[in-house]
Amino acid sequence: MDEVFKALADPTRRSLLDELFERDGQTLSELEQRLPMSRFGVMKHLKLLEEAGLVTTQRRGREKLHFLNPVPIRLVYERWVSKYSESWAAGLSALKHDIEEEQ
Amino acid sequence: MSREAWEVVDGRAMSVFEIYIKTTPERLWEAITDPELRSKYSFGISVESDWTPGSAYRSGSGGVEISAGENLEVEPPRRLVQSFQALWSEDVKGAGHSRVTWEIEPVGDSCRLLVTHDQLPEGANSELFGGWPMILSGLKTLLETGELLTTPGSLRYSEAANG
Repeated sequence: MDEVFKALADPTRRSLLDELFERDGQTLSELEQRLPMSRFGVMKHLKLLEEAGLVTTQRRGREKLHFLNPVPIRLVYERWVSKYSESWAAGLSALKHDIEEEQ
Repeated sequence: MSREAWEVVDGRAMSVFEIYIKTTPERLWEAITDPELRSKYSFGISVESDWTPGSAYRSGSGGVEISAGENLEVEPPRRLVQSFQALWSEDVKGAGHSRVTWEIEPVGDSCRLLVTHDQLPEGANSELFGGWPMILSGLKTLLETGELLTTPGSLRYSEAANG
């Protein structure tokens, strides 16, 4: 989980994730065009994102496609949110009840 | 769906989900294919099939149909390729058949599970593939701790079935 936070702590890496969120499965060349950075710089950031599990790659012919893997972020969310889920759900159903009463 | 049809739709939208789970490939395969285990981390939805190559599968809960399709490749405990037709709403039904590939690779004392959902229509409703992170983190929790995830929505269909 340290690697996830380290990877997310950098604005360039967050913009790479934004790019993949916008359009999944891009090549290094495509990503490089969208960032004011050298090919080497983009590669370095992608490597860190891959090591953190936030980006996975698939080969298609000669191309290597990069995909946003949202699963580690889900794990971060669940680690701290699951504890509150019961009261969250209870709160929502109480809200639903109140709204329905008003109608 | 014929082989040609798959070729025609190849190159459409695709999503990839990766997770590491401390378990064996055999346990992981069981959790993916056993109806009761499946329902514990998959929004309360179980899946029924005899898991032979070319067999059909259906998933649903308490009369609610969720998805159906064919097991295109079945290689326990390493690889499962399924066609996927979503059935939970008119909108997702319109997306037609996509494909889900489960790949299990042992890594040290754990497994790397890669779920690739591809052959989706361009601009597909994100409901079609948006549930995977929640399903996979629930699967990890179940196999590593034996417990159910109770985050909001994670068991919504089991609640529907029970009341």
